[in-house]
Amino acid sequence: MFDFAIAGIQAPLFLLILTGFTVGIVGGFIGVGGGYMVTPALIVFGFPGYMASGIDMTHIAGKGVVSTIRHRQLGNIDWVLGLAMIGGTMLGVEQGVRLLTWTKELGLSGIVLLTASVVIMLVLFVYTQIETAQAHKKMTKMAQEGEKVGRELTVSKGPAFFQRIPLFPIVRCRTAKIVVSMWVIVVVGIVTGILAGFLGVGGGFIRVPALIYIVGASTHIAVGTDLLEIAVSGGYGALRHSMMGNVDMIAVLFMIVGAMFGAQFGSIATAYVRGPAIRYILSYSLVLACVGAFLRLIYMMTGQKYEILSFFAVVFTLGEMLFLCLFIISLVYFSVRYTNGKNVPDWVPALVVAKK
Amino acid sequence: MAEVSRGKGAIKFFFWLAVGVGLFYYAFHTYYNGQMISWYYYKTKADGYAVNADVLKGYSKEKPALLQIGPFEKIEGLQAVPVKKGDRLPINANGVITAVQVKKGERATLENDKLKVMVPMRIREAKGFKYKDTFMHKEVQTNPWSGVWNVLLILAIGFALGLTAEGFTDMMGYKLEKIEHFEGAH
Repeated sequence: MFDFAIAGIQAPLFLLILTGFTVGIVGGFIGVGGGYMVTPALIVFGFPGYMASGIDMTHIAGKGVVSTIRHRQLGNIDWVLGLAMIGGTMLGVEQGVRLLTWTKELGLSGIVLLTASVVIMLVLFVYTQIETAQAHKKMTKMAQEGEKVGRELTVSKGPAFFQRIPLFPIVRCRTAKIVVSMWVIVVVGIVTGILAGFLGVGGGFIRVPALIYIVGASTHIAVGTDLLEIAVSGGYGALRHSMMGNVDMIAVLFMIVGAMFGAQFGSIATAYVRGPAIRYILSYSLVLACVGAFLRLIYMMTGQKYEILSFFAVVFTLGEMLFLCLFIISLVYFSVRYTNGKNVPDWVPALVVAKK
Repeated sequence: MAEVSRGKGAIKFFFWLAVGVGLFYYAFHTYYNGQMISWYYYKTKADGYAVNADVLKGYSKEKPALLQIGPFEKIEGLQAVPVKKGDRLPINANGVITAVQVKKGERATLENDKLKVMVPMRIREAKGFKYKDTFMHKEVQTNPWSGVWNVLLILAIGFALGLTAEGFTDMMGYKLEKIEHFEGAH
């Protein structure tokens, strides 16, 4: 146990570092900050709720930089796309926070927030899961027919539609190989920013699917570019939280030690897999977080009488981090086996690459 | 990607590791010498009494704490310093018992020149994971420049750790090539 003088509590040091490590793996792999997993964990460790958010946001800023450096090396960042989104995202986040304050004044914010979380995550899960399953099936068929299967395949019609919008100025994103109106990128940033600001999260789990299914970036580029975004928006969020007195920097520093190692593994793991594998992990993280949010919603709507619901919500959220880490590690393991010509399950070759 | 030079990787690794360790050392030094804490517990947001809330642990209605009131520059133990909204908090102060709370009399009352406190620093509800923040954090204003310091520090540490990791993989000869996003059919 470590004595955190700013937060005024004692908390388990090892668990803080472990949380940073596991969320680092997941975040580096699917391009999210992981706030919806970390904040409940910090509350369980003993941090007051408002500090849990602030500590999480600040550590996300640092972790975002660590992951961005690695993803840059892997060629997963489109700087034009990332920088174009940042302005829209920051504007959106501000509006989202104001919307949250308005619902707070109406006395509705807790239930409205959780309901919005559940609905958004459920919709994203359903769409991502269906699309990814179809893409996976198509890739498996291509592999069986002897075609060379690429790193990425999506069956969504969204990008083709949005890329045809002829609003000036048109932006050429060289790394992502897309040509799209700047307004599409900015509006995506604003809308995802509003949702993120309202829900009090970094927004990666909304932005990554938006980059894939609306803007048309490949999954790997969506992940890397979003982590760049998170480093900037996380820094801004960290500044606001710090000024409001919501940050214990020592807790952040311990988390970043774990996050450094986790983010490295998660980021490098993307080199071992194809796009649909990342989208599967993203969809599972959404559905598990959705279940956790749903349990909390029921708990609140029943007047906070049944503590068992709150308990299971926390167990789900913490268990989710470990489950996703194990899944990511298993994908890397299968990729290595596949590369060495060893037996792997039938569903694996379409999801992993044989790394030379 | 060009063949990685292990020598250059080693230089990169050790240089950025030194920078990262230096930044951590600086951060912990700022914490342990009390500066970080004094930036956090900077000013009061309300009229009342500045206290060191840590000393209130274990006290209760049955066994209240009696704090000596006075204009102490540094709070040591059971002492309380009268403050007005916007005043700097004295050294070691990490909580404010507001004048409103004292007037209500449920948590603290005045007894001559002493402040009688009947609740601990923080109440944690028996069920669930909720806190009732009694005296810490609520009426405390953080130095806004500490926010800038926090952000610059965490971004610098992220940068140093990221490049340390990059140097490490280069030093170990682990070849990380740019991903071919558009090879094959897609």
